[in-house]
Amino acid sequence: MFAFALRRLILLVPLLLAASLVIFLLLRLGPSDPAMDYLRLSRVPPTPQALEEARRMLGLDQPIAAQYLDWLWRALHLDFGNSYSTQRPVLPDLLYYLPATLQLAGVALVLTLGISFPLGVWAARYRDRFPDQAVRLLAFFGVSMPNFWLGFLLVLVFSVYLGWLPPMGMGGWTHIVMPAFAISLMSLCINARLLRASMLEVKGQRHVTYARLRGLSDISVERSHVLRNALLPIITATGMHIGELIGGTLIIESIFGWPGVGRYAVSAIFNRDYPVIQCFTLLMVGIFVLCNLIVDIVYAWADPRIRLSAEGVQ
Amino acid sequence: MRISRHIWAATAVACLTINGAFAETLKFSWPSNVGPLNPHLYGPNQMFAQAMVYEPLVKYQADGTVVPWLAASWEASDDGRIYTFALRPNVKFSNGDPFDAEAVVANVNAVLANRAQHDWLELANQIVSAEAVDDLHVRLTLKDPYYPLLQELSLARPFRFVAPSQFENGGTKDGIAAPVGTGPWKLIETRLGEKDVFAQNGNYWGDKPAYDEVEVKVIPDPNTRAIAFETGEIDLIYGVGGQISPDTFHRFKAMGTLTAELSNPMETNALALNTNHGPTEDLAVRQAINHAVDKDTMIATVLYGTEKRADTLFAPNVPYANIGLKPYTYDPTFAAELLDKAGWKLEPGAAVRSRDGVRLSIELCYVGTDAVSKSMAEIVQADLAKMGIEVTLIGEEESSIDARQNDGRFGMIFNRTWGAPYDPHAFVSSMRVPSHADYQAQLGLHDKAEIDAMIGKVLVSTDERQRQDIYRQIMTRLHDEAVYLPLTYVTAIAVARPELGPIPFGAMSSEIPFEKIHPKGM
Repeated sequence: MFAFALRRLILLVPLLLAASLVIFLLLRLGPSDPAMDYLRLSRVPPTPQALEEARRMLGLDQPIAAQYLDWLWRALHLDFGNSYSTQRPVLPDLLYYLPATLQLAGVALVLTLGISFPLGVWAARYRDRFPDQAVRLLAFFGVSMPNFWLGFLLVLVFSVYLGWLPPMGMGGWTHIVMPAFAISLMSLCINARLLRASMLEVKGQRHVTYARLRGLSDISVERSHVLRNALLPIITATGMHIGELIGGTLIIESIFGWPGVGRYAVSAIFNRDYPVIQCFTLLMVGIFVLCNLIVDIVYAWADPRIRLSAEGVQ
Repeated sequence: MRISRHIWAATAVACLTINGAFAETLKFSWPSNVGPLNPHLYGPNQMFAQAMVYEPLVKYQADGTVVPWLAASWEASDDGRIYTFALRPNVKFSNGDPFDAEAVVANVNAVLANRAQHDWLELANQIVSAEAVDDLHVRLTLKDPYYPLLQELSLARPFRFVAPSQFENGGTKDGIAAPVGTGPWKLIETRLGEKDVFAQNGNYWGDKPAYDEVEVKVIPDPNTRAIAFETGEIDLIYGVGGQISPDTFHRFKAMGTLTAELSNPMETNALALNTNHGPTEDLAVRQAINHAVDKDTMIATVLYGTEKRADTLFAPNVPYANIGLKPYTYDPTFAAELLDKAGWKLEPGAAVRSRDGVRLSIELCYVGTDAVSKSMAEIVQADLAKMGIEVTLIGEEESSIDARQNDGRFGMIFNRTWGAPYDPHAFVSSMRVPSHADYQAQLGLHDKAEIDAMIGKVLVSTDERQRQDIYRQIMTRLHDEAVYLPLTYVTAIAVARPELGPIPFGAMSSEIPFEKIHPKGM
């Protein structure tokens, strides 16, 4: 188990390196000139002298390979440079905003799991009857509705019309409930449908029939024999949902005035603030990969078949 | 029992009042934090906040004049090269440091120590030295008799004053310890991504603001700002362009219960027509474009009436600009005649005019993420299509548009004037700089060199009548040559709850006069 985790951790290094290279090159493929962006964001008129000075200062007069290596060397020392627009070091600011994003994504995850489980179980228990149809309808809306649109609808209803919840900002649970729900709706709908499908599949297996023949109660069969075995795909899906939830904060944070990395990154993308975009994307890649790693480990722990095949046992 | 409860309640209210817990706070919003508020540097310092904390020697007024501010009076030498300012006595910085001649000289020197950063502003190049004559008198010596000295001293940056005790490394270019100014407000709290809070400066020499605090919430999204206003999270929306969408302003105004006002023209939104590239090299084409665009419809549909029709590059309320230029009226028939006469013919069955095999096709460049510019560009495209002029829209990132302005790769490009107090002197001055769209657009004029020489002359002219005359020549020349298609005069908007009373507009787009807002009943 330890060797499995270690191997996956070591794989992280080339993955992050490759990601950093792709991010660096993609940003530079665009038509805009980073020196021009730097001057614009620093509110300095782009005279030829100023442009030349900015290019020299930002190292843009070097070959692109040298620029990448220089950036990588600094990044390895946790120096991601200064933001063009705020002129502040990027990493400390990102880390300052990160807890708010993790808090939002965390609550969204709790909502996703907390709501999707009962819905999934309910739908599976009453297959093709009213609860199942209701969950199907909800899922249809949930996956079709863009989260930013849902966010505005929630604000319109609960803040503007009813005045129950604050429309923006960070504070108590009243501030977090709408943005967290807006981010989580899609994930929780997918999870509910997945759990339903998985439970129905397990329900038809022989060990469940045998359990019923043994005279176990419906609740006991559902809990111990169906749900536990149906959880495996949910673990994989949850790993992907964590990524989706953190990604979902990008737009939602701007709508709800939530001071997290998402909003910081969206401003940076609009401004073409290269150092922030590079650091943010790498941070996101790191979080995604780590989440997947954790899911793989949990998966291997939950399902001996995976663990044993990973350890070479036939 | 009941009596004692009342006594407790009364005592609690009294204590809260004494402690200032009932402080009146004006809640405002801005797309970003206000920055470290270094008065002598640019982004990320936000100009409106710099203007709250720091004050100028002289203050710009809406009518284009300047009045005494931190300087109680001033005198110019006969040759216009030496200005002596008498400082207002008994002015203190918010930390109690005295504001005196030494502080002024230290600040001016701190700005000049970073001259390269300020070379876009002619005054920074003009000041030769600043000396303290005595405690309350400062002498500025200039290279030339540069008449816009007073206007440029009134700018929100860089010629404003921070307490010299806050300098880092003997100056301000490496930063400041804390934003300590003489203005009516002082910054007391900053929370990244959340808010900045300003409180009254207890040492302020002028009238005390009605509000105790101004809380500036960070809200980047215009829709979120509108919702925050509707739900009472903020009390005031104020700014030039982009604070809320034009249709949201229209909706608030239509409610009838809110203060929703437009200022006088602040800046001009125009298209620069390139006289040095493509079909716009032809004067007839530029004139036809000026006659063919229906600005009134554009303002009514895209802008919901939030801006005013522009007939000339500078609005008549800009100094020296009220010279009675004859507007190019909306007259598509006349525009078509002009094109026909110039040889741009519409062949049977063709949708686009041509001359000697060259299609009358022009590129119009705008910032792709700017939805309002895009809609305006589409109207220009549609109006010109009716004339047989093909317009190709090029929406790109801001820096790409900047680069096009820099090297003249455009047929038409959005270009704004800079507003008071830069208009007209600093804006026309920039027409001589190759990195500006104006320079590139004018390059095809046969007398571009003469125009530039006139601009150089007007800036150092000491005779008011001569100055007016040169400005008239420059503005008339550019107008007659139809180098610009003036679209709208941009205004500042103010939306507030009625309890705030009337909202005054600042004379410059960079300042928000929070200290002049007096809520009803206060």
